[in-house]
Amino acid sequence: MLRAVVTQSGGHVTGVRLVSADVSVVPAAEGEATEVEGTGPNPIAPETKELAWGAGSFLVLLIVMRVFLFPRLKKGMDQRYANIRADIEGADAVKAAARNDVAEYEKALAAVRVEAAAKIDAARAKLDAERAEKLREVNARIAARRNDAEAEAQAARAAARSQISAAVGTVATKATSIAVGKSPDASVVQRAVDAVMEGASR
Amino acid sequence: MIALEFPPINEILRWKDLVPGFNKISIIAILAAVIAIGLFLAATRQDHNSAPKGSRNLAEAIVEFIENGVVMQTMGRDGLGWTPFLLSLFLFIYLCNVPGIIPFFQMPATARMAIPMFLALLVWVVYNGTGIKHQGFFGYFKSTLFPPGVPKALYILVTPIEFISAIIVRPFSLAVRLFANMLAGHILLVTFALLSEALFQAKDKVLIPVGILPFFMLIFLTSFEVLVAFLQAYIFTILTAVYIGGAAHPEH
Repeated sequence: MLRAVVTQSGGHVTGVRLVSADVSVVPAAEGEATEVEGTGPNPIAPETKELAWGAGSFLVLLIVMRVFLFPRLKKGMDQRYANIRADIEGADAVKAAARNDVAEYEKALAAVRVEAAAKIDAARAKLDAERAEKLREVNARIAARRNDAEAEAQAARAAARSQISAAVGTVATKATSIAVGKSPDASVVQRAVDAVMEGASR
Repeated sequence: MIALEFPPINEILRWKDLVPGFNKISIIAILAAVIAIGLFLAATRQDHNSAPKGSRNLAEAIVEFIENGVVMQTMGRDGLGWTPFLLSLFLFIYLCNVPGIIPFFQMPATARMAIPMFLALLVWVVYNGTGIKHQGFFGYFKSTLFPPGVPKALYILVTPIEFISAIIVRPFSLAVRLFANMLAGHILLVTFALLSEALFQAKDKVLIPVGILPFFMLIFLTSFEVLVAFLQAYIFTILTAVYIGGAAHPEH
């Protein structure tokens, strides 16, 4: 609990202040300012022991940090950052090299494609020429065989006709000799038969 | 009614000595240095060629935060040499702030004036020393007190303002900003903790459910103090970087 301490001088109130209830109030000598025990020193005023321990602790921290800890930590950080930077630069270089490789590959691929297309065209032309040649040969062979077959058929037909004509001439000669009682000239009969057969075949 | 007794301010700020000359603030300050050193020691022992993980990951993230978020933003590439100092400053302040919300500690070491005052004075010495080193004694004070581009007649006004601002107020504001923020947070947490306790233990049963309000406020403020602990460490560090950068390169 707080207690009001009233200071009097010459019967007049000269001041009032609040103090803790557990503080004993000592009457002032000669009626002047009262002495309050137990309030202690000014709470804001710095204490020497706190100043000494605080200053000592901070200076130790500062010296250890400045001389030993910070340089060591910073050196490690810088080294790691340098490694990271080198790795990034290395990766960039590898990426650039890979891009160059890809460009060269695409260039080579395009050349190979052109070459392949040319080869395919040449092969196709050669194949077409060979096929045309083969067709020509086959057609010629077929035509030759057809001509041979037709000649054979013509010969067979002529032979058959000759045999028929001869047989008809013989028969006509025999028939005429029987009919007229004298043998006709066989060559005349034969010419007549040939002429009739010639006319019938037209 | 509830019996709410707020303890005397010294009771929540001044800690009894565990051994003569050694109290809770001393423990927190030592632990802050030990934890920071331990973290970086563990980090440096890991293989630096593989992907960082665990303590090394955390340590490298903090280093990169200081380099990219503080040094490069305020001093540029030339200021990278200040990284160990700013890193130590940030870690030490943060680790002194955080115990304000850690059970059993529940006291930020920076809610006492000693550590902010020492750090602010150290920063004052460092940035003034840097300015003198880079520009020479007279050159530094000339560029600080007589900023170029200002009409000469205005130096009557500007020079005293710059002197008070750059030489006197800067360390004071650095120390008080950190100390006051952490102290305010600590007192707020104590206030809502006491209020919650008083309401939960009130004789009047109607008041007991009301205790949930300051209790939620206590939880919210505890979360907020996590942010404040980081933010104050960051502000102190970035202002230090700005002061050093300004002293080394006044043309910027």
